Amino acid sequence: MNRLRAEALTLGYDANTVVDNLDVRVLDGKVTAIVGANACGKSTLLRGLARLLQPRAGAVYLDGKTLADLRTLDVAKVLGLLPQTPIAPDGITVADLVSRGRYPHQGWFRRWTEKDHDAVSRALDATGTADLIDRPIRELSGGQRQRVWVAMALAQDTDLLLLDEPTTYLDINHQVELLRLLRKLNAESGKTIVVVMHDLNLACRFCDHIIAMSEGAIVAEGPPTEVVTAALVEKVFGLTCLVIPDPVAGTPMVVPA
Amino acid sequence: MTATLERPATAATVLRRTRRRRTLRAVLVTAGLAVAVAALFVFTMMVGSFRLSATEVVTSVLHLRDDPSVDFVVRGLRLPTALSALTVGLALGASGTIFQQLLRNPLASPDFVGITSGAALSAVGGIVVLQVTGLLVSGLALGGAIVAAALMYLLAWRDGASGYRFILIGIGVSVFFDGLVGYVLTRAQLFEARQAMHWLTGSVGQASNQELWLLSGALVLMLPTAVLLQRQLRALELGDDAARALGARTELARAGLLATAVVLVAFAVSAAGPIIFVALIAGPIANRLLGPATGGIVPAALTGAALLLTADLVAVHLMPTPLPTGVVTGAVGAPYLLWLLATTNRQGAGG
Repeated sequence: MNRLRAEALTLGYDANTVVDNLDVRVLDGKVTAIVGANACGKSTLLRGLARLLQPRAGAVYLDGKTLADLRTLDVAKVLGLLPQTPIAPDGITVADLVSRGRYPHQGWFRRWTEKDHDAVSRALDATGTADLIDRPIRELSGGQRQRVWVAMALAQDTDLLLLDEPTTYLDINHQVELLRLLRKLNAESGKTIVVVMHDLNLACRFCDHIIAMSEGAIVAEGPPTEVVTAALVEKVFGLTCLVIPDPVAGTPMVVPA
Repeated sequence: MTATLERPATAATVLRRTRRRRTLRAVLVTAGLAVAVAALFVFTMMVGSFRLSATEVVTSVLHLRDDPSVDFVVRGLRLPTALSALTVGLALGASGTIFQQLLRNPLASPDFVGITSGAALSAVGGIVVLQVTGLLVSGLALGGAIVAAALMYLLAWRDGASGYRFILIGIGVSVFFDGLVGYVLTRAQLFEARQAMHWLTGSVGQASNQELWLLSGALVLMLPTAVLLQRQLRALELGDDAARALGARTELARAGLLATAVVLVAFAVSAAGPIIFVALIAGPIANRLLGPATGGIVPAALTGAALLLTADLVAVHLMPTPLPTGVVTGAVGAPYLLWLLATTNRQGAGG
């Protein structure tokens, strides 16, 4: 059973078709990485899966229904997305920002409830941001800030969470920290996670499943050990390389030749 | 036992404390502003060449006691101006903060995105070319503001929003309209030109009773709408992608918020003329009082009312000769604008 899948999905901006006639199945309860060269359509695919982009053709299905047939608020209770560059309002504090993740669970008149309180507290605890609660986002380091955004997405309390390049602007230490956090969330609550990322080695190390894209099509998908080979890296990134086992975890590691 | 006592506070307790403090602050600030506005409202009706006590003013306004001479001064002369300052201030404050939050820029006040200029061009054109007066001028101003807003929406907002682009186009549109206003004025006869210039400076004293009724009606409908839409505004502030991911219907919410803000500012301008800077500074002052990024619409509206009541007091009673309210708000607002431009540039937060 795949709660989130797309059939014959075609996506694009203006005159350009970026993703053409694609079938994707997101594995439930797993951490999936979508990798590929710049402008291969991986972020576009993620945006399409999260209904931020209307399909030109085909459809995205969530729990068997097309996204177009579901109320966007109901989708938001099941499917969360952290965009590539969300905007923090000037001066906003961590508590305020994370609380805004509760949007889909609140109504026109029903505002803050105990359920909201619990979800936000859990999100703060899980991301280790509880001690930053009164701090303005602006004053935080890049790594802390990204954890706060993840906390906001967690407060939304969805079974599926998509993240668009959450590690791109972080240093290696914070990249690893964030990916460990995602792994922990997956292990503790069985959350299905899809993450678009650039670093193939980290994707192999921390993800269960890899979807490799090139020019708007899926070139290969499967567990990292099966998928990531020298031939694939050559094909997807145009890089000649060796693939050796990671000395710590044994997962594939790409070394430029 | 000691171990549990020394355990650091959990997220749940810290969060509860933070939210409680925040709510308390919001309640205190809003209540304080409401009291200040009420006090200023009464006070503006007490002062003048014929001094009255607060009791005399309140009893006369509420029709609790009839005293022909007091009633003539209060109900006949001072109440319309005070009501005008109150309602125009509320509308400008609410409208300004909605624009600023929607466009994510402290410079995005309706004064600067072409809406006030559209109203001015339409009203001045009416006074000079069509030689209309009274309520018709207000009607034209209202229409001009709405047309200008629609034009801005089409020019700047075809696919998604960029606050910076909206402001740049708005400044361009403003300059264009202001140029046309200047041209129209050069074609005017002396009498019409004087009338038009008076309208252009903006004064709370110039609103007629019908205009006040219309503006009050707009406030009664639009302020609660704005408060209801604040939830959407808080999502939109995070960027369109994040807002959509949270389940907000961004286009609909934005159009609704924009329409609310435009109606408020259009009625305010049509009643009192373009009183500048109140919409620009009310929201930031309210945010200072409430804490950053709180963006309360009601506190901003109350701040606008307090500012305009104060400006009117200064303009009418503290100056050697009574001035139009717009002159005073301009004198206070211009230094703030300069400061804002200097500091936003330094922080690189202008966009």
